[in-house]
Formats: sequence, C-alpha cells, structure tokens
Amino acid sequence: MFDRIDAFVRDVGGAASEDELAGLLEEICADMGFDYFALTHHVDIRQAPQPAIRLHNYPQQWVEYFDEQKLGPTDPVHRASHLTSVGFAWSNLPHMIHLTPRDRMVLDQAGCNGIGDGFTVPAHVPGESNGSCSFATRSGRPVLAEHLPTAQLVGAFAFEAARRLWRMRAPVLALAQLTDRQRDCVVWAARGKSDWEIAQILGISHETVIQHLKQARERYGVTKRTMLAVSALFDGTISFVDVLKR
Amino acid sequence: MIVTGSRPHELAAEPLLEAMFEARKQVFVDLLKWDVPVLAGRYEVDQFDDEHAIYLIVADEDGRHLGSARLLPTTRPHILDSLFPGLCAGEPPKGPDCFEITRFCLGRNQNAKARLETRNRLVSGLARYALGHGIVTFTGVAELAWLQQILAFGWRCRPLGLPQMVGARTLGALRIDIDAETSALLAANGIADRTQTGPVCALAA
Repeated sequence: MFDRIDAFVRDVGGAASEDELAGLLEEICADMGFDYFALTHHVDIRQAPQPAIRLHNYPQQWVEYFDEQKLGPTDPVHRASHLTSVGFAWSNLPHMIHLTPRDRMVLDQAGCNGIGDGFTVPAHVPGESNGSCSFATRSGRPVLAEHLPTAQLVGAFAFEAARRLWRMRAPVLALAQLTDRQRDCVVWAARGKSDWEIAQILGISHETVIQHLKQARERYGVTKRTMLAVSALFDGTISFVDVLKR
Repeated sequence: MIVTGSRPHELAAEPLLEAMFEARKQVFVDLLKWDVPVLAGRYEVDQFDDEHAIYLIVADEDGRHLGSARLLPTTRPHILDSLFPGLCAGEPPKGPDCFEITRFCLGRNQNAKARLETRNRLVSGLARYALGHGIVTFTGVAELAWLQQILAFGWRCRPLGLPQMVGARTLGALRIDIDAETSALLAANGIADRTQTGPVCALAA
C-alpha cells in the first residue's frame, strides 16, 4: 500500500488543476475502501471573501442541502476537526464535541443522502482558514481501520496540493502588520478590557489606546472590536494563550 | 544564526548552547511531555548530542536563544534508524549528503507572532545551510500534528512510510529534498529570514 501513497504524493505534487487533483483523489479513495472524498476550507462557501478550496464527489442532493443550511462553519465534523490535528473517525464525534439536536439532525440527513461512516483529516495552517480532507463510505459500508494511516497521509498531501493550486489562483494578501503597542492593545481588548482599562494596564493615555485600536482596525479593514480580535487571532498576530492565560 | 557542534560537557563554554538545551527541556519535556533524559533538572540532552551533532540556532541581537534544530549525520546512528526504523517502508535514507532534522525547537519566551518569525528564520536557515554544505536530503520523524504545517512550508517533502501510533502520539517519517529551487519555494510561502542577518556561519566546537 505504501507504493500507492508514494505514487499519489508524486502525482498530486505535479497536479496542475483542481480537476486533476479531484481525479487523483477519486482513484485513491476507492483504493482505500471509501466511496466519497471532500476536501475543503471551512468557510461558508457563498460568503467567503477569498475563493476557498472545495473539491468533492458527494451526491449532489447532499451538497445542495449542505449549502442551503449554511453548514460550512457549523458542521459537527468540521467543528470536531478544529479540536485535533490528527485524523478521526466520525464514529468518535460524540466523544470529541457536544452534539446538539441540530448536529444529530445533520448527521441523520447525511445518512439519508447516502453517506455512511467517514474519516476526517484536519488541515491547520497558521494564518489560513481551517480545512480538512474527509473520506466517507456509502451508507451501510464500514470504514476499514487498516486504511486509516494511509487516509491520514493522503488527506494531508492532497490538502497541501489544493492549497498550492489555490495560492497560484489567488495570491494571498500580505498579512496586516500591527506595531507592538497596537498588538498589546488588541490582546487586552480581546480579553474584554475597555479602552480606559487598557490605558491603566499599559500606563499610556486613554486617547493613545483609542488611536492604537482605531489604527489596528483600519489595518485589518474591520470596524468592530470583536472582529479585530478575531482577525488578529486568525492570522496568529495574537494567540489564544495570550488571551486566555490568567 | 549560528551553527556549532559540541558535547554536553562543554555546555559552560558556550552560553548559547546552554540556552538551547534549556529551551529544549522547556519545550519537549515541560510542554510536550516527551519521555527524554534531563540533565541537572534543566537541560534536555540525549545520546545523540555528541561531537557529530550540528546545531542551527536562531538568536536575537543580544545572543539569546529563540529557536534551534539539531542535524544528525545519517552515516551514524540517528533517531530514525535507531529508535523508529518501523516508520520507514524501506531502508531509512542514508549517506554523507543526507542529514536528519531533530529537536526542532521554538523557545517558549516569545509571543505567537515572534514564534512564527523564528520558525521562518529557522526553516529558511536549514535550507541555506543544506545548500552551503552539500546536503541534498533531510529526513525526520515528525508528530503528525505538525505534518500539515511542514508541508505548507512549500519545500519538496515526501512520506517515508505509514504513520504509526507510538504511545499517545502519531509519528511519521518524512524526507525533504533540497535543491537550488528550495529557497524560492519556501519564500513563495512566506518562509524567509526577514532579519537579513547574513549568511549562516559555522562556529567550531
């Protein structure tokens, strides 16, 4: 089986189009005992500011349902994939996240649309949207544990190939750069402090804090404090540890 | 960035090495909970930290350790062939032009942004060091959690075998081929040394 992966890695490294990549995934998907693959960045595909990656061979009716319900950012499989860096079987979902009634409905709907069990490889690259590569079986067909290490590698290398194609299509804008002082203010704003409180903490004037945060919002092109904090977390300018530590 | 080879007992002679072994303890033992030896309760030093090891260290202007990596010659016992030979589907790659990247360490005394900057300097430094010293292949054992990030550097990277669970961690063996294009591939993914501290220099032990 490793020869098969070796060949796949070479092939995706040279893939020149998304169609070619999708074809390679469809072939290796079958070799691993799966029927479906889905490679995606986890954004609502209709709202995303930058063109996102989405390649799949899911049944059309399932895709329509998924888009109509705007499941991109809330899909339980995608949510679980944010909590881990290694592949997981969908049967493990209840142990990874709290499944709400809506989550259970989504999983039921997938089953009704012909999708059985699956395995998802998360793809986290700092500063970029979270993504994943999933492999699924038809309803009633089990996932074979012996193929999971292979699926893990295939998912990771396929995602990188998609990322390379995507970057060629739409060069990523340079990251907004904050000054150290702006960054300090954003960390405290993310921790819920008011401008006045931040001024006291950092020992600078109230007006200076207002200016730092205003300029930081301008650099990210956002108008709200919450969006500023989220944007800075997203691209790694500040980290969850900075914000959450006591 | 400084490259050096040394022995643990020469620690005192080289403050930057001492800082590196200390940072390695903080990262690999305290943070990642690896079961590896610790010297004097402060330094993470193992059997491969001998006179054959080469260290690449990223330091700030005041000479403080920010990040580091250890290169082991594959012509001698190293981690992949000694500890995890099962991670390779075939024989682990070996040769005078093949080195193993081990103990890739980003110091914990930095915020997220600074750590990414250090990471970029270290990765681009590895490529430049390889080009300057006739190294054409790097191998390495990586925790799978880091695989996507390692691939996203943009260099030519391939798996050497199927990943395996080792204790609570999933490990995989990788090879990275370095050639004249590597630096451009890395730069296209934002991996460069923006501090322009000049060429990688070698410091004899």
